[in-house]
Amino acid sequence: MNDVWRLSRLVVCNFIFVLLLASRIFPVFAADHLDEIKSRGVLLWGADAEGGAPYVFPDPDKPEQLTGFEYDFAGALAAKFGVKAKMVQNQWDQLIPALDRGNFDIALNGLEITSDNQQHIIMSLPYFVYAQQIVTRKNTSGLTKLENLKGRAVGVLSATVAQRLVEQMGGADMRIYPGNVECFRDLKSERIEAVVQDLPIALYYAKPDVELKLSGEPFAPGYYGIGVRKQDTTLTAAINKAIKELSEDGTLEKICRKYGIWDQRQAGLKEYQPEAVAQRKSISTLREWPKYLPLLLRGAVTTVELSVLGMALAVTVGLLIVLMRLYAVVPLRWLARAYVEVVRGTPLLIQLFLIYYGLPQVGIKLNAFLAGVLGLGLNYAASEAENYRAGIQSIPKGQMEAAFALGMSWSQALRRVILPQALRLVIPPVTNDFIAMFKDSSIVSVITMVELTKVYGMLAMSTYDYIGLGLMTAGIYFALSYPASILAGRLEERLRYDRR
Amino acid sequence: MIAVEKLVKSYNSNRVLHGVDHTQAQGEAVVLIGPSGCGKSTFLRCLNQLEIADSGRITIGGLTIDGGHMPRTSAEREQQRQLRIRAGMVFQQFNLFPHRTVLQNITESPVVVKGISKSEAESQARELLAKVGLEKKADAYPAQLSGGQQQRVAIARALAMEPQVMLFDEPTSALDPELRDEVLRVMRQLVEEGMTMIVVTHEMQFARDMADRVLFFDGGQVTESGTPEEIFSNPKHARTREFLSKVATR
Repeated sequence: MNDVWRLSRLVVCNFIFVLLLASRIFPVFAADHLDEIKSRGVLLWGADAEGGAPYVFPDPDKPEQLTGFEYDFAGALAAKFGVKAKMVQNQWDQLIPALDRGNFDIALNGLEITSDNQQHIIMSLPYFVYAQQIVTRKNTSGLTKLENLKGRAVGVLSATVAQRLVEQMGGADMRIYPGNVECFRDLKSERIEAVVQDLPIALYYAKPDVELKLSGEPFAPGYYGIGVRKQDTTLTAAINKAIKELSEDGTLEKICRKYGIWDQRQAGLKEYQPEAVAQRKSISTLREWPKYLPLLLRGAVTTVELSVLGMALAVTVGLLIVLMRLYAVVPLRWLARAYVEVVRGTPLLIQLFLIYYGLPQVGIKLNAFLAGVLGLGLNYAASEAENYRAGIQSIPKGQMEAAFALGMSWSQALRRVILPQALRLVIPPVTNDFIAMFKDSSIVSVITMVELTKVYGMLAMSTYDYIGLGLMTAGIYFALSYPASILAGRLEERLRYDRR
Repeated sequence: MIAVEKLVKSYNSNRVLHGVDHTQAQGEAVVLIGPSGCGKSTFLRCLNQLEIADSGRITIGGLTIDGGHMPRTSAEREQQRQLRIRAGMVFQQFNLFPHRTVLQNITESPVVVKGISKSEAESQARELLAKVGLEKKADAYPAQLSGGQQQRVAIARALAMEPQVMLFDEPTSALDPELRDEVLRVMRQLVEEGMTMIVVTHEMQFARDMADRVLFFDGGQVTESGTPEEIFSNPKHARTREFLSKVATR
């Protein structure tokens, strides 16, 4: 009886848990969000505050507080609805899919009013007229126009108009950055020769920098608008009305002036005429695979190169580390141990940033590929060292003694007796790590490497077909890692010596 | 052939060897018996430099090494290696190299350490395998052999280095009774060929039959020594008698 009671209690608890979980996963979609925002009393706006100046960013004086012209603008907008504004942090190049998913009510973060963006969401009236600006080092001359950038290494922010302009022009060595700041750092360390950015960003970051200059006149003007979900027509109308009012009563100008970005170009806000956007047919990348698969495969080649070289480095350095840790004199032993603990105990992402952005400050400048291989290799070396250590320590003591008794020196015994046995033992865990690194290698996209996952992200953003491309990408990863594990299994079988 | 003077060995505060003296002529077969933990294995391991004695002196075939410190210079290490080459060792757990075939186990050291050619090492290895009755197993891996066969390979492997002395550390203790005889038969053959040997064992019949001299080890010292006849039929010390009566009734 008692058991039945306990069991039914467990079932009920689980059921409640599942319900709670479901309510978190499936937000309730109201017919129109305006009513919901008003009854909630909060307008949720999606933006990326990381490297987000002057749009929205942590106040340098009070880092727990946000500031920026869009922060102020969102506040003014919310006030028009009689509610408070609350920012929802979201990676910039994923703002539109996140808006679509319902993570926030509006996307307000320098979204350009382009036909691409209007395929999936509604763009409001504009609140700012931006232009593109070329930024170079102080001593560079002649790069004043977009056409001058052919054949040069050019940095752009991911999923921006700048990226599309440079792409359309062709002929430039384009590097795609996930955030605003890193491209200027690479410009200063001479990894790239120019950056094309929206003017406000250039004004905020590059203008005050003594090493950099704005090169040539701003070009290709365009509008920032607020992104709204397609079904939210009432909300869109209310937002457009509010923007008009804020523009006419001078609030918008006051906010922009506060951040030093008001210019004569903003007169264009009043002349804005929305253009009719032709809705393209939705793209099925699966059906059009001959167009997309080769692009993905090109990314996969980089992924394979990165992980094969990275693993080669890892197994070699790992061996040196474990030999130091087990057999070297005491200070070297500690050093090897410290290496393993520190590298294992810190995130790969930070190690990559240190190698790619930190080393140039001490005069070591590696390109993104080398930095990626080095980062992955040195990180995995710590795990490989631990794999080896487990392998070596599982070899019975008698093996070393027998080798010694036969007159072998320490290094002969190690090379001919201990390591051959230990290395066979560690084939499975090392294979495991290789496959893990294969997938982990996608992290090097943060240092501008365009590998498989990055290609997927870029294509998904422009086609909006996350599922089709996702299946293709996952398929490629699997098609490459599965043979690796089969091969390792064969190798393991072939090297077995305990067959009876 | 073997001269050991005042050999002392401790593990931390636990003294295992209390100044052991021992001399042995060429061709002499000596069997060490005694209760477990009495230091007889440690004694053997010191001879082969698997343990470094705290003090004392070991001479094998004219080469002398003093205890007291780990070899540091390459000259000292070379000397240690030379001593090991003079003394072949057979372990209780065989310690064959599992990743090598039987033949490779035997040829490994002659080729790597002595630098003789592979073909020469192989023909020598096949002779040794014939001698221990395993010529058919040359290409097998250790895991495919019985314990007794593995130990016979281990003996052939030690012999391949052409040692002046053979040290056996309880060579049959890890074997089932029915497999012991094949190993003991090989050892008897070696005695008959005049190999200088020290055997640590609990095989009293082997000691009785084959030993030129039996040493009784107790508390880290040789407390009694003599011919098998003297030790087994007429032990002088109470401890020896006690030990022998225990082994006999076992």
